[in-house]
Amino acid sequence: MQTISAVYAYTFKEHIRHKAWLSGALFGLVLLGGALIVSALGQDERGRLMLDLGLAAIEAISLVSIVFLTVNLILVEIESRAIYLILSHPVRRADYLLGRFLGTVAAVALGMAVMAAMHAALLGLYGWWEPGRYLAALGCMLGKTAVMGALSLLLSLALTSEAAAMAFAVFLWLLGHFSSEMRFLADRSGSAFLKTALVAFSHAAPDFAHFNYRDFWHQPAPSADWLMWAALYALAYTAACLALAVQVFEQKEF
Amino acid sequence: MKRRWLGVAGVLFALALFAGSRLRRLHEPRFPPLAELTGGPFAFQDAALAVAGFRAPAADLAWIQLLQYTAGGVPELPDRPGHPYEHLKSLSLRVARLDPSFHRAVLFGSSILAWFHGIERPDEAADLLNEGMRRSPEQPLYGLYLAAIAYKKQGDTDRMVALLESSFDLPETPSTMKAILANLRQSRGEYREALALWERIRDNERDRSEHARAKAKIAELRALLRSRR
Repeated sequence: MQTISAVYAYTFKEHIRHKAWLSGALFGLVLLGGALIVSALGQDERGRLMLDLGLAAIEAISLVSIVFLTVNLILVEIESRAIYLILSHPVRRADYLLGRFLGTVAAVALGMAVMAAMHAALLGLYGWWEPGRYLAALGCMLGKTAVMGALSLLLSLALTSEAAAMAFAVFLWLLGHFSSEMRFLADRSGSAFLKTALVAFSHAAPDFAHFNYRDFWHQPAPSADWLMWAALYALAYTAACLALAVQVFEQKEF
Repeated sequence: MKRRWLGVAGVLFALALFAGSRLRRLHEPRFPPLAELTGGPFAFQDAALAVAGFRAPAADLAWIQLLQYTAGGVPELPDRPGHPYEHLKSLSLRVARLDPSFHRAVLFGSSILAWFHGIERPDEAADLLNEGMRRSPEQPLYGLYLAAIAYKKQGDTDRMVALLESSFDLPETPSTMKAILANLRQSRGEYREALALWERIRDNERDRSEHARAKAKIAELRALLRSRR
């Protein structure tokens, strides 16, 4: 546990100093400002536009940040051979990977919190205030970010290529939002093989379509039970990907 | 021993599958499938955003394009001469199919199609409202507008106006519909009632987009009332 917290603290501080992360946050601010300007064109629906576009901007920045940071997290250390130095100490590989991952997610979550605070302040200026639902949407966005982070880490270790890992991560992001469509296509498919393949894919890919609270905000709200199951889903999926990443990492010879 | 993490991953993935099935059982987002999105020049924009999980922002952008169209047209969808607001129904449907909870797009489009001076295409408005009601049955204004269209077709303008005015202060009522109602009163020679409606529009923060017109109309109607005396 001590090892995990030490690696976590070191990773968190490293990301806070990281220029790419800072430029991501700055870009997020630009997007939030853009949401403010675009929403002015929405007439009666200005509040809705500010809410949707602001949350979408926060999620897009968080996605780009987590994929970029986790894909490079271990690969850079392998390339620079710094990993030899770290693993020559009495550090379990699983602890090291978990600490690195948690530190990265915490850094991205901090960026999300800063952007969300500014976004909520802007919304408050226009008389909008629904903190409970806003926190629920942010929680789901953080869950998606954690799942994507774990998937990107697994892909980077399995593929050992930054470009391939990023491309697959984006593909899985899209596939995750396509899960309802895959079930819809499976229902209408006449071929048993295609039906089975589509259902299998829709279950294996992360189910972001049902996890996208931000997107169905304006529809009837899900129950508190739903939020509990959503949290469990995100935790279990993230942990499953991390376990696979540890498996791949432990089989690597340094 | 070397593959112990595979077993852990398997158990956790099974737990995720179980939680995912509970998640889907407890709440199903009400988005029409991508195949039902409208075609046309904005199809790629809509599909790209919807696939990336940004359906609500896609509907917001479609709403802005709908407003641009009604304010003077968009280059991608020019109206034929003599066919004003030719694409209004399809552009309103586009928003509703991206996000059925965007009720204002359906109400806005149908109010212009049914009651805007010089347009008067109530059948298209009814189609729009029927689709809105099918996708989002909890919105009471869809049924109310359909009933008002039925009165209009019967030529019962008194009951139509009374019905529409009953929804005047509801937050979902588009500012455009309020302006249409005030103009309807004026066209029937009911200047005092029209003035009262424009004053309510002017005093409502939600109707900011109609405030400038309300001020001009209030001055015009006061002058008309003075000249009557």
